[in-house]
Amino acid sequence: MKEIVMKRRNFLKGILATSFTLASAASVLTPLTALAKVGAKKRDDWLTTGSHFGAFKVKRKNGVIDQVKPFDLDKYPTDMINGVKGLVYNPSRIRYPMVRLDFLLKGHKSDTTQRGDFRFVRVTWDQALTLFKQSLDEVQTNYGPSGLHAGQTGWRATGQLHSSTSHMQRAVAMHGNFVKKIGDYSTGAGQTILPYVLGSTEVYAQGTSWPLILDNAKTIILWANDPYKNLQVGWNAETHESYEYLAQLKEKVKQGKIRVISIDPVASKTQDYLGCEKIYVNPQTDVALMLAIAYELYSNNLHDQKFIDGYSLGFDRFVPYLTGESDGIAKTPEWAEKITSVPVDVIKDLAKTMVAGRTQFLMGWCIQRQQHGEQPYWMAAVLATMVGQIGLPGGGISYGHHYSSIGVPSSGAAAPGAFPRNLDEGQKPIFDSKDFKGASSTIPVARWIDAILEPGKVIDANGAKVTYPDIKMMIFSGNNPWNHHQDRNRMKEAFHKLECVVSIDINWTATCRFSDIVLPACTTMERNDIDIYGSYANRGLLAMQKMVEPLFDSLSDYEIFTRFARILGKEKEYTRGMTELDWLKKLYSECKTANDGKFVMPEFEQFWQDGYVHFGEGKPWTRHADFRDDPEINPLGTPSGLIEIFSRKIERYQYDDCKGHPTWMEKSERSHGGPGSDKHPIWMQSCHPDKRLHSQMCESKEYRQTYAVQDREPVYLNPEDAKKRGIKNGDVVRVFNDRGQLLAGAVVSKNFPKGVIRIHEGAWYGPVGDDGSITGGAKVGALCSYGDPNTLTQDIGSSKLAQACSAYTCLVDYEKFRGKLPQVTSFQGPLEIGA
Amino acid sequence: MSQVNQETAQGISEEREARAVVYNFLSSLFAKEVTSDLVAQLTSAQGQSFLNSLALEPSLTGSIEGIKAKFAKLNSEESLLELAADFCGLFLVDGRASVSPYAGQYVSAKKSAEPSVETGSRSKKDKIQIFGELHQKMTEFLTDNKLQIHSDFPEPGDHIAVILAYIAHLCVTAEPKEQGHFIKCYLMTWLSDFTQQVNEHDHGLFYSYVADLTLAWLNVDTEFLPNN
Repeated sequence: MKEIVMKRRNFLKGILATSFTLASAASVLTPLTALAKVGAKKRDDWLTTGSHFGAFKVKRKNGVIDQVKPFDLDKYPTDMINGVKGLVYNPSRIRYPMVRLDFLLKGHKSDTTQRGDFRFVRVTWDQALTLFKQSLDEVQTNYGPSGLHAGQTGWRATGQLHSSTSHMQRAVAMHGNFVKKIGDYSTGAGQTILPYVLGSTEVYAQGTSWPLILDNAKTIILWANDPYKNLQVGWNAETHESYEYLAQLKEKVKQGKIRVISIDPVASKTQDYLGCEKIYVNPQTDVALMLAIAYELYSNNLHDQKFIDGYSLGFDRFVPYLTGESDGIAKTPEWAEKITSVPVDVIKDLAKTMVAGRTQFLMGWCIQRQQHGEQPYWMAAVLATMVGQIGLPGGGISYGHHYSSIGVPSSGAAAPGAFPRNLDEGQKPIFDSKDFKGASSTIPVARWIDAILEPGKVIDANGAKVTYPDIKMMIFSGNNPWNHHQDRNRMKEAFHKLECVVSIDINWTATCRFSDIVLPACTTMERNDIDIYGSYANRGLLAMQKMVEPLFDSLSDYEIFTRFARILGKEKEYTRGMTELDWLKKLYSECKTANDGKFVMPEFEQFWQDGYVHFGEGKPWTRHADFRDDPEINPLGTPSGLIEIFSRKIERYQYDDCKGHPTWMEKSERSHGGPGSDKHPIWMQSCHPDKRLHSQMCESKEYRQTYAVQDREPVYLNPEDAKKRGIKNGDVVRVFNDRGQLLAGAVVSKNFPKGVIRIHEGAWYGPVGDDGSITGGAKVGALCSYGDPNTLTQDIGSSKLAQACSAYTCLVDYEKFRGKLPQVTSFQGPLEIGA
Repeated sequence: MSQVNQETAQGISEEREARAVVYNFLSSLFAKEVTSDLVAQLTSAQGQSFLNSLALEPSLTGSIEGIKAKFAKLNSEESLLELAADFCGLFLVDGRASVSPYAGQYVSAKKSAEPSVETGSRSKKDKIQIFGELHQKMTEFLTDNKLQIHSDFPEPGDHIAVILAYIAHLCVTAEPKEQGHFIKCYLMTWLSDFTQQVNEHDHGLFYSYVADLTLAWLNVDTEFLPNN
């Protein structure tokens, strides 16, 4: 034994004798500083913050978030509160600035076919931001502003100071000009058509207050609308106040005081909650149903001719289409039954019900996210005009009661401003060229992949011609188009053509994995900010207090782009010489000034200590009441100031897919006997998720595991269809069409009719080889291992008018997956799949 | 104190120092990418003799030779970047081909504190939240020892580099029993699983040698610690 000890002693002595110490590599440990010691205790109190998912109180332990509970005022917190901790501490976090190795070595000449399937290296912030600037230099020098698209935006994280789009666009604008987008993926068709018809986008407008609807409506039509699911999240910190009114509505339905009719191919969460009536309609055929109701109203003289005459324009130009005088097809209930599967007597009864008393139309957004998505929104407005109750409490039409608590009376207080998105007056970019080389500087939001693939192509859009710019570089911040854009395989081809892609995000989204430079932003919990409590309710002002220091090497959006501006030599211009705290104080004090004399707000320091200032309740209000009161003094924003049943402006565009009045048009793909249904008989619905905000929170691992099936996104299946395919609950299913394929976990439910499946959008894309093997994920045709529905959707514009996304025009088929189940690749960092 | 005792004390102190050097060396290899500075140091005469002295222990020879051979080839910016990409893919991102450097992803704090209880490693599927119980535990240990993680190393406390650096600290400050207990509870419960995963995923082999060296070193070192 002694010998062994001696041997060891000599061995260790030998090591020491070399006098080797690591000169450059200091230990990862350092003596504890007094500062850290003191700070640790104080920071363990409950603090306040807000998010799309609601406002919270958060408690920390040793600088780590320990407990999350709902904000005191939130009486209906979403179940997603259970996923909040996982938003911060999840394995998908981007830990350091990283650059794709081949891009680092070869720059704009790198092998772009390897995007999404290659190695990254860690770099310092300085290196990353310098590379970012060099790429911008190269693109502006070689191609000018049409080579750069920094205009795509996403749902960001909440907070008026750190809003990711504002920071990225202001900072990049200090370098040079770039291509931007118009519209958004949620409501692209709706927000384009409705200004022609009702004079505003409507989709983002405050609506008639719920108390007035509950007091006055006899019938509520939920048309493809699932507010109980969608009101869980909001654009700003969500108050969930609408749920109180939904609870009252449920009671009124139970008592038979209000009839709620849900018109939808599926039984929605709202329908289950309210216990309301349901009318099944074949997917994508709503316009035919609406036309038949209109026909029934018109032919039985049930419509409100007086209202039509006094408040609308062009009914006379629409009627010949309705009766078939202009096209030989009368839009009768019998005609519609064949298309919609809604029985004639049900259509007739619906028409009668709508005019039997006060009827409130509440439209969802899904039906405008399809080919010809403008038409159902226009036709619904026509129907509401014929019913004649627009501007009355509990009557008329709303396109937003499922969104951000629209319909909750607003306090009327002024909300705080935000960090500027644009350059200040007099500021000039380094590259000041505005020469877009004949191409458009703004393109419809969902057409950027088209532009990359077909630069120079001219398309129609909303009465204008758009020439696609030749995009060479894209920048995404707080924005995950590899979730919300359609047709992944087409996106892969487009990304091969880009010279440089930069992503700023919290997690390794698929967008980051398909990028060259990836910069880690911290979450809302890791920075200070302020936000309005309730996007429309303006219930109060919320302090978003930093809970923990930014994880790893992540930074706040403000800090990231302040550093970037420093590299541009424009730091002072960017920050206006102010710190994060200075900005918070400025935004707060400007809000205080705007509310002076109306709402009491304490000094900033007091507000920050309290975490919240309450603006009080609001007064009920009726949408379009002023218009109804006097359409001459309070005209709508349409060309005529009236509701435009027929639009001369649109007619003049002479579009074959969006005519002068609402029209039923067959789709490129439609289930239940429509085009393409012989090959792929199933319609896939990819609506907003129940357990996420779009793709946000999919990364929250423990929460995801509460609903995932065999680690996959659920696919909701009709029992009969599933049985026919030998599929039972819990099986893994391969869903496919000619555009792509994915794996998802079967949830068999009678809420879903024959020929319909649902996969919620926002399921993270995780490609593997098309046979399920780990190699080949970057290839076109790869299999999505988790279940992103946009692997299968169609990338076409809604029409020449809006050119909006048409995710809902999508047919698929599915089968039981019998291959070797691949591991899900959606939530990991980049890797060399082929290795 | 007699001369003999003095010599013994000095010998013990030297042993502790030597062990700390090795633990810090291993910690640094897991903390950050290999830099040209580190290559220069380890390919210098002094660096080579350090590695050679380690290689005298037969169970370390193979991995040391492997590391030396790899270092000899790290003679260009590109070769360093390739190695940095290996490091990044293994330790800086999460994924099918990565290896978590965090103890908490293998074992829970409770299991670590009670080594008699089953210390089975977790499968990748069951990974728990980062900055979890073991991060908390390590933060407490560090605070008790008046230490904290360097701001240049923004990682959780249960990162392998922190644990190895903390052991280096214990080597010169704590009784062998305490060292042995810590190593057994907080490193040996998962190190072989970690090493196995590095070997499985590291195509460049450098980090396989480093992980092998770490495991072999721990096996050699703990043989002489109580509580083993």
